[in-house]
Amino acid sequence: MSAATGLPASAGREAQAAAATRRQTLWSKAAWKFRRDRAGMVGLCIVLVYFVAALGVWSGWWATGWAEVAGGKWNPPSAEHWFGTNLIGQDIYQRSLFSVATAFEVGLVVAVLSTLLGAVLGALAGFFSGKLTDELVLWLMGVLDSIPFYLLVAAIAFALEGNAWSMHVAMVSTFWITTSRLVRGEVIKLKNLEFVEAAHAIGVPEYTIIFRHIVPNTLHILLVQSTITFVAAIKSEVILSFLGLGVKDGMSWGLMISESTLEVLAGFFNNFLAASALMFVLVMAFNMFSDALQDALDPRKVS
Amino acid sequence: MELLQYTLRKLVAGIPLLLGVTFVSFLLMVYFGPDQTYVLLGKNPTAAEIAELRAQLGYDQPFFVRYADYLRELATLDFGYSNSTGEKVAGLLGRTIPVSLALILPGFVLGNLVAIMLALVAAHHRSGWVDKTIMGISVVGMSISFLIVVIAFQIIFSSSYGLGLFPVRGWNVHSFRDYLAHIAVPTMASVFVALGYNTRFYRSVIVEELTRDHVRTARAFGVPPAKLLYRNVLKNCLIPIMTRIVFSIPLIVISGALIMETYFGIPGVGKVTFDAITTGDQPVLKAVVGLTAVLFVLAQLVTDVLYRAVDPRVSLK
Repeated sequence: MSAATGLPASAGREAQAAAATRRQTLWSKAAWKFRRDRAGMVGLCIVLVYFVAALGVWSGWWATGWAEVAGGKWNPPSAEHWFGTNLIGQDIYQRSLFSVATAFEVGLVVAVLSTLLGAVLGALAGFFSGKLTDELVLWLMGVLDSIPFYLLVAAIAFALEGNAWSMHVAMVSTFWITTSRLVRGEVIKLKNLEFVEAAHAIGVPEYTIIFRHIVPNTLHILLVQSTITFVAAIKSEVILSFLGLGVKDGMSWGLMISESTLEVLAGFFNNFLAASALMFVLVMAFNMFSDALQDALDPRKVS
Repeated sequence: MELLQYTLRKLVAGIPLLLGVTFVSFLLMVYFGPDQTYVLLGKNPTAAEIAELRAQLGYDQPFFVRYADYLRELATLDFGYSNSTGEKVAGLLGRTIPVSLALILPGFVLGNLVAIMLALVAAHHRSGWVDKTIMGISVVGMSISFLIVVIAFQIIFSSSYGLGLFPVRGWNVHSFRDYLAHIAVPTMASVFVALGYNTRFYRSVIVEELTRDHVRTARAFGVPPAKLLYRNVLKNCLIPIMTRIVFSIPLIVISGALIMETYFGIPGVGKVTFDAITTGDQPVLKAVVGLTAVLFVLAQLVTDVLYRAVDPRVSLK
């Protein structure tokens, strides 16, 4: 009996293993590996929940009253105001929910743009390694790396005269560097492989080789790096908003925390706790997702 | 002799980087930076007064003349006087840099030492519960914003709502006891955050070294674990570890100090620089950015020379 019940389970496992060996592409193997990573799946689910919350804010379904003064000063949590109200009586729950959308906006814009920039410059530098292009890109990376980040942001904010996008510009102009370094290293490895040589031999133009044949092979790096950049962007936004260089019109966790620095000294913690907790859970989930992605996509990684 | 030649060659190679950093920061912070003309003048200035002040601040000069002036100032280390306070820039930096260093060094040193030790322990017990616990905590440390940690620790340790052990803010240091009390909360906060990133990084470096053949051989010969970790693993990991430490120094001095100094109201160089950007105090800005760039070039030089010290195979050619 025990053998009979044991059989389907082991047969299932064998079928699974067989399926895994049958599909031998990088992506299907990675997807299979990722689905088995419990922490990664939990992280992904939490990120998706946040994303739905952000979509709702963008569509105007909820958190529409984040700027209204709806109650008294520092009301305690109630059925009407789930997390209470702040110093001037605005609803903390709506404000922190609205900030989810801000976080996604900052994270997505910065992650996509700096990944694109990093991929293009890194690929060019790698392909022309040792030549002038490479020297220039390396020099640019060294220069931007040597200017302290917050000073660069402050300077860009002033150069753009308080433009709402100055924060994004500053982050993109520094965050592409890490991605670019990794892509450059990978491209140097890839460009000596046979498929590139073959492409050269049949007369494929150089830039087609770079962007159609080499860059797609660095996609796993780009994917992982963009999740890392996303997290870095959200975390930087908080500090920049606290320094008065971040979000200009709208609401963000950074602004809430910087509001709360006055409140915590008076013993009112709701604003601080709401923003910190929501932000911590999102960043933590994203980190877990990013780790699992890295494990799934990098077969050489020793963990 | 070989070392001296090498050092000189590296310094020369650092010149393009120095020029780049000074040029970009000059363009951004000085050329496009805030204009102080009307801040410094009184009400209803005459055209002659405006012109005189602009000449005094150097605003009327062409771009490249001003940039060349800056390079000359950097070479002679004479940056003149602060526009905002009239204090000599060298004196201002001489007063604030030690404060920032005193504030940051303990956390920086502890953050790295403790992280290396935790990473060794985690790597030794790889994929056991000890490893999983340490790595779990480090992901938590990575996920909390530095600002949140600073505020939370201040509430817990300094405020009357928490333990009330340390001064809430300010920098009122007259004795070693004062000093310890003032740096306690900032140090705990920076160690907590640094542990997250550092432990992960160091662990991955150590784990990679642990899978090497020579470590397996040493283990087979019965080298005890503590000796193995120290002599066969840690020593071979020194290059990535040192690179990380040396390169984080220039950033820590300005960026790391900035948040803590702003929040705790400590008169350090990070706060001074930030104020200089927002008010357009160009002499101070020029000095800080130029010196940071020099620090970066020196950091590269130091790591290269240190590589040689820990790994005799590295050639200085």
